[in-house]
Amino acid sequence: MKAGLFIATAVLYAIACILYLFLLTRGSDKAQRIPGTVFVAALGAHLAFLLLETPSPGELPLADMSQILSVSSFGIGIAFLIASYRFDVTMLGAFVVPLSLMLFLASGLGSSYAPVSPKVQSAMLTLHIGANVVGLVAFALAFAAAVAYMLQERLLRRRQLSGAFQRLPSLDVLDTMGLRAVLVGFPLLTFGMITGTFWLLRSGGSEFFVSQALGLVAWAIFASVIVLRVAAGWQGRKAALGTMMGFLFTLLVLAGYALRAVGGSA
Amino acid sequence: MRDFVVVGLSHRTAPVEVREHLAVAPDRLEQELRQIAAIGPLDEALLISTCNRVELYATSANPIEASQIATDALAKRLPENATADVLYQQRGVDVVRHVFRVASSLDSLVVGEPQILGQVKEAFDAARGAGTMGTLLGRCFTQAFATAKRVRNETGIAEGTVSVSSIACELAKKIFGNLEGRRTLLIGAGEMGESAARSLLQTGTNLHVINRSEERARSLAESCGGRAIPFERLSMELADADVVIASTASPKFILTPELMKSVVRSRRHRPLFIVDIAVPRDVDPRVGSMDNVFVYDVDDLQQVAEENLAVRAREAALAEIIVEEELDAFLSWRRSLELAPTIVALRKRFGQIADDELQRALPRLEGASQSDRAVLEAMGRSLVNKLLHQPLTQLKAGAGEPDGALLIDAVRRLFAISEEPPAEQEPSTEAGTEATVTHLATAASRSTGESK
Repeated sequence: MKAGLFIATAVLYAIACILYLFLLTRGSDKAQRIPGTVFVAALGAHLAFLLLETPSPGELPLADMSQILSVSSFGIGIAFLIASYRFDVTMLGAFVVPLSLMLFLASGLGSSYAPVSPKVQSAMLTLHIGANVVGLVAFALAFAAAVAYMLQERLLRRRQLSGAFQRLPSLDVLDTMGLRAVLVGFPLLTFGMITGTFWLLRSGGSEFFVSQALGLVAWAIFASVIVLRVAAGWQGRKAALGTMMGFLFTLLVLAGYALRAVGGSA
Repeated sequence: MRDFVVVGLSHRTAPVEVREHLAVAPDRLEQELRQIAAIGPLDEALLISTCNRVELYATSANPIEASQIATDALAKRLPENATADVLYQQRGVDVVRHVFRVASSLDSLVVGEPQILGQVKEAFDAARGAGTMGTLLGRCFTQAFATAKRVRNETGIAEGTVSVSSIACELAKKIFGNLEGRRTLLIGAGEMGESAARSLLQTGTNLHVINRSEERARSLAESCGGRAIPFERLSMELADADVVIASTASPKFILTPELMKSVVRSRRHRPLFIVDIAVPRDVDPRVGSMDNVFVYDVDDLQQVAEENLAVRAREAALAEIIVEEELDAFLSWRRSLELAPTIVALRKRFGQIADDELQRALPRLEGASQSDRAVLEAMGRSLVNKLLHQPLTQLKAGAGEPDGALLIDAVRRLFAISEEPPAEQEPSTEAGTEATVTHLATAASRSTGESK
C-alpha cells in the first residue's frame, strides 16, 4: 500500500514535470492548464502518503531525514499552488516541480535514516527542523523565480521572443517574487541557524561541522542578496544569481545531513 | 435551384481611394440592403462593409442575373476614375468558402486580425434587421461564425503582434509587468516614435517628450497628452524613465555608453527598456550589453514582426483545412436540403403514373366490384413502393457522399424532375420557371471556370 502510493505519487510528479517542460515552449493556452491538474493530483497522492507516514494524529512526520525531505517536497508544491494563485506564474511549474520530484525521490532512497538518535530529540529540535523546512520551501520558490528570470533575460537579449518567452511571466513579476520569497525564507533560516547552534552546543557535540559551515555560507549569501537589494537597489540578473547560489548551498546542507544520516545508519 | 453570389472589392483588388467610396457606415447597412433588395430578383442579401472590403452577398434562383444586378448596384457607386475591374464576383460553392475565409480572417490584410469577425456579425444582424436574410445565407453565415471560432481556438493564427508599436508595448510588458504609472521618455519627434509612444500611453504609462526643438516637443506632448521637457535635462530624464523611445534625426549616437554609464549608476539597477526607432540609430550598440538595460532597434522589432507573420502564415495553412472541413459540412447540409424534395417528387411522379394507368384500365374491366378495385389500387401502390425502394435507399445513402450532389442531379434528370421543391422546404423561393436544373455543384464548376 505504502510502496504503491509512493510510486503513484512519483509517477504523477514526473508526468506533471514532463508536461510543464513540454508546454513551456509549445501548446495552446488551454493546454497549459493540464499540467497543473496533474500536479494537484500528485499533491493529493503525496498527502495521502504523508498521512500514512504520520506516527500519530497531530504529530508532524519530521522524525527522520526521509520524512523531512518528503514534507519539504510537499511544502514546495503547496507554496507553488498558492503563489500561482496569487501571481500569474503557472508556467513556473517547469522549474518548481522538478525540485518537488527530486526531493520526493530522495526521501524514498533511504527510508529509515534518522537525523539524530531519539535520545537527543527535543521540542527545540522540532522547531529547528520546522523552521528550516519552511525556509527551504521559500528559497525553492525564490530559486525557481530566479532560474526563470535568468532564462527570460537571456531570451530577451537574444531576441528569441516566441515560445518560452511568451509563456513565462514578466521580468518584474519574477524579480518581485524572488525578493519576497527570500524575505520570507531568510528569518526562518536565521531562526533555524540559531536554534541549530543552540541545540548543538547543548548536546555538546561538534559533529555537524561541515553542514554548519555550509549553512553559514548560504545564510551569508542570502543576507548579502537582501542587503544589496534593499540598500543598493540591486535588481534582476545579479540578484537572481545570488538567490540561485544561496539555494544551492541550502541544498548542500540538506544533502550533507542526508549523507551523514545514511552513513550513520549503515 | 437557388445559388450563392458575391460581388465586391477588397484590399486585394482596389486601393483605399476606391474602397472608401463604396464603404457604408454600420448604421446605414439596413437601409442600404433594403434598397438593393428592392431592385430585383435577389432572394436574400447581405452587405459587409469594412475599411478593407465592401461585399454584397446574395442568393437567387438565377445566379447569373443576380450577380449582374449586384455588380451594377456596386459599380454605379465607383468613383469616376475607377473601372468595374476592381469588382470581383463568385458563384456557388466558392462564395461559401469565401465567407468562411473572410470570417476567419484568412482574407484580411493582416491575417488573423480579430476585428473582422465582429464586422461580419454586424453585417449579419443588419441583414436580419432588413429582412433580407433567409435560410441559405443564414445557415451559411452561422456556420462561418462557427468556422471562425474553430480557427481561432484550434490554430495560432491570432498569436503574436505584428506591428512595430505593439511589439514594443508587448516587450515593455514582458519587462515591467504592469505598465500602469511607468514613465515613457520619447526622444525626438519622428512619426514612428510618436505612434509607439501613443501605443504605450494606452497601456497607462506617463509620457515625457524631449526634443532639440522645444516647440515641436510641446506640440507633440499636447497632442498625445504628455509633458514636454527641455533637452538639457536629458540625462536626468533618462535616470527616471522606464521605457525610452529614441527617434531623432541625429546622424550620431545620442545615447552613448559614457552618458548611459552615469545614468545606469543613478538608476540604481532599475531595468531600462530602450526602443531605438531612429535610422541612423540613436543608441550605441554597446549600451545594449549594460546590466539591466535592454535595447531593441528597428530591425529587431521588424524581425519579430516578420517572425510573427511567418507563424501566422503557417497557422493559416491549418486554418484553410478547417475551412474545407466546414465547407464539406455545409455542402452536405445543402444536399440534404435537396434530397427531401427529390424523394417527394419521385414518389409523386411514380404514384401519378400508377394512378393514371389504373384509371385507364378500370373502365375496361367489366363487372369489377368495389373490392376488386381496392385490390388493384393496392397493387399499384405496392408496385410503386417496391420499384422505388431500392433506388431511394441508394439515393439516401449516396447523398451523403462527396459527389452526392451529382447523384441527386442525375436522378432529377432521369426522371425529369424540374419543379422547384415545395414551399415548406425552402420558404422564400419563388416557383421555378427554369427548364434546366441549375445545380450547386455544376454552378460551382462553371463559376470557377469563369473567374480564372
